[in-house]
Amino acid sequence: MTDFLEMRNLTMRFGGLMAVDGLSFKVAHGSIHGLIGPNGAGKTTTFNMISGFYTPTSGQILLRGEDISGLAMHEVARRGVVRTFQHSTLFAELTVLENALVGTHMPFRPNIFAAIIGWDREDRRGAEARAREALEFFGLEDLLDERAGDLSHGHQRALGLAVAYASHPDVMLLDEPFTGMNPEETRQMMELMRRLKADGITILLVEHDMQAIMGLCDTITCMSFGKFLAEGGPAEIRHHPAVIEAYLGGARHVA
Amino acid sequence: MMELLAQTGLNAVYAASYISLVAVGLVLIFGVMGVINFAHGELFMAGAYAVVALYADMHLPFFVAVPIGMVFVGVLGLVMERGLFRPLKGNPLGGLVASIGFLMILQSLAVMGFGVRMEHIPPVTQEVWRISDKVGLPVARIYVIVAAVVLLSALWYFLKRTRFGWALRASAQDPEAAALQGISITQTARIAMFIGAALAGVAGALTAPLVSVNPHMGHSVIVTAFIVIIVGGVGSLEGAIIASVVYAFVHTFVTTFSDGVLADIVGLMLMLVVLIVKPTGLFGSADRA
Amino acid sequence: MLKPMMFLLGAAALIALPHGLSFSQQEILVFMVINILLVMSYRLLTLTGEWSLGHVVIMGVGAYASALMTKNLGVPVPLGMILGGVAAALLAVLLSFPLFRMKGFYFLIGSFAAGEIIRLIWKRFREPFGGVRGISGIDPMPDFSIGFYSFDFFEPVSYYYFAGAIVAFCLWVLWRIEKSPVGLTFHAVHWQDKLAQASGVNLRAYRTLAFAIASGFAGIAGALQAHYVGTVNPNSFDIEVMVFVLTWAIVGGTTTFYGPILGCVLLTVINEIVLRGMGFEQARPLFYGAIMILSILFLPNGLESIVQKFIPRKSAAKSDRKAEA
Repeated sequence: MTDFLEMRNLTMRFGGLMAVDGLSFKVAHGSIHGLIGPNGAGKTTTFNMISGFYTPTSGQILLRGEDISGLAMHEVARRGVVRTFQHSTLFAELTVLENALVGTHMPFRPNIFAAIIGWDREDRRGAEARAREALEFFGLEDLLDERAGDLSHGHQRALGLAVAYASHPDVMLLDEPFTGMNPEETRQMMELMRRLKADGITILLVEHDMQAIMGLCDTITCMSFGKFLAEGGPAEIRHHPAVIEAYLGGARHVA
Repeated sequence: MMELLAQTGLNAVYAASYISLVAVGLVLIFGVMGVINFAHGELFMAGAYAVVALYADMHLPFFVAVPIGMVFVGVLGLVMERGLFRPLKGNPLGGLVASIGFLMILQSLAVMGFGVRMEHIPPVTQEVWRISDKVGLPVARIYVIVAAVVLLSALWYFLKRTRFGWALRASAQDPEAAALQGISITQTARIAMFIGAALAGVAGALTAPLVSVNPHMGHSVIVTAFIVIIVGGVGSLEGAIIASVVYAFVHTFVTTFSDGVLADIVGLMLMLVVLIVKPTGLFGSADRA
Repeated sequence: MLKPMMFLLGAAALIALPHGLSFSQQEILVFMVINILLVMSYRLLTLTGEWSLGHVVIMGVGAYASALMTKNLGVPVPLGMILGGVAAALLAVLLSFPLFRMKGFYFLIGSFAAGEIIRLIWKRFREPFGGVRGISGIDPMPDFSIGFYSFDFFEPVSYYYFAGAIVAFCLWVLWRIEKSPVGLTFHAVHWQDKLAQASGVNLRAYRTLAFAIASGFAGIAGALQAHYVGTVNPNSFDIEVMVFVLTWAIVGGTTTFYGPILGCVLLTVINEIVLRGMGFEQARPLFYGAIMILSILFLPNGLESIVQKFIPRKSAAKSDRKAEA
């Protein structure tokens, strides 16, 4: 496996607060990589820097060797790194299919003049096929015309992933994808992620649900107070003394 | 030259006085209710017409007409609160449209009651306070300055020293937290609306003998007030006062040394630059919009 | 079969319409057609979630540009109208640099300031804008004949047909844009700008695109008006006109394509024909203001919400797919 996505000395300062402090780690191509840490460890901030939501105070994010730190979110997305959001951030007023169609924005870039004259039939058909494919992948094919805001919580989560998946990403950044899910939904979601991996997509996820993280990830990076703490496979991390200490009294969570 | 500068400075102080009365009222309403009162200029106009009716037509003493006009416009504010802004809570665009509707009603009533022509009111006093031969200020303008200082000081005392004022500031900062503290949002909204409207009304009433009163006079007033509250930072009363002074000086000086339209352009440019560089205003910190 | 029939019937009604009206009502009709284009271009801007207070001034930019080009440079009127739209669109691109640093309330106020500055520039500079009195003696649209019908532009009916055809074409373009992936992206930018951006949408580019298209059509509307009236001046594009546009959009509703048209037609008829007909000359703004307040209080989702009650909601994608099939 090659160095695909690499964080080098990432630092983010908000006023006097060091949210992330000199964080470095690498994500291997085709792996599922977990980013964990106690509350306030700076996971979400790291995430926001990688996706282009924040510009790092210093440090670099290298994608296939290219520095992408400080690029706007859509520029990062266009390089194949697509994120999802915490909670159910969707186009609630649009239908399920329309949501997925927005996801196909990158592979099928709209052209206004072609659209007016009607010379974009091919593209529209292609976009719709891709959107349907993505929805099918996440088991949403029967809900095409539902308003996204009317979907159940689990379906909204799946749709969030489908929108990201529709864009043919290389890397998917998943922000707490298991929050608020019951064990059955979590199990299904884990299965979907394994299928994404089998599809060749690299996944970096931030998560609290240790059960899911341990069962899913190839590599786990643990951070604490904005700093790198430990890295390794699930078994390694589970028994890592520094990790156990960081989750103070939280040995049972890590178990 | 020195004399012209001094005279222009005095004129600017006068302009700053009535502008700050209007702008502070607008900020107060926006702070507590979260709506932009587009009819604020027409509240100013209503205050001016109150003086036309009571002082010029019914020959009441000027200093009786002004407080009556002030209370009358305050009551108009209460009508707006009850009739428009309370039912449209949580719909800022709706509140804006409703206030435009109210603006048209007030304008139309003024046209029907007094005609479109400009009203010239007999002067309250012809006296001029002179500093030198060439520099001086009509006493009628001094009334406006004094009233602004007194009223804004009273408002400041009210906001900082009384329980009502505390409630008002709390609900301007965080309505939900204020409600949890047992502050009645409806009550504070009513007070803010009354005070805000009354301040615009008294500014209109006091300046009525000094300007030409007409049904469309509110337009330039609201534009000025917008510039001032943006430059001062939306939601900041102190900012509104400081910005009033800044704007009045810039505008008066450009008007005197060049022309009025250019002064308007400069004022708007000032606002646009502030919006681009620091949208929260030069003196504002909290961002409520 | 039903749909083309309805369409033909509607077109026939629109063609017959002015013949049942008085001369002054025909003139109102011409303005209404132009205003429909104005409010519909405004709606395109609101699709991305921004409400501007400078749209009428942008319309004025088209009017001034077309008037000046035809008058001073000898540009033919039809070309001048198109160039008026282009000028308005270009200015919008320019304005987007300062204005799109703002959002929501600040954009509203910022667009107002920018508009007022443009208007004051017209007022201040007599060369070439004619100052307060503006430009008069603007070339009218030259008469022409299309075989079965001769356009005589001293007749409001002729101008109604001419403007109506242009407006219909512009509305068709606006409709095509909205129902295209570009339109979907506008909606996406409105409802969840962050998620849209994460899907690779360049927010600035799409906001600017919507602003430029909306302004271009507003500019064409302005040019149509300028060559009909024959004069332009700064006051014909002031905030009071903007207020009318705003109320047409809000009273009609902006979530559907027909909402603003509904608002524009109904309020124009009430204001210009009903209230005028009842003899309320001075009290017209009073009634108009009252209607605005009542409709915002009791119909917060616009007139379109009444229509929607009777027509089951169809999603944009659904109707599109039917059209494709």
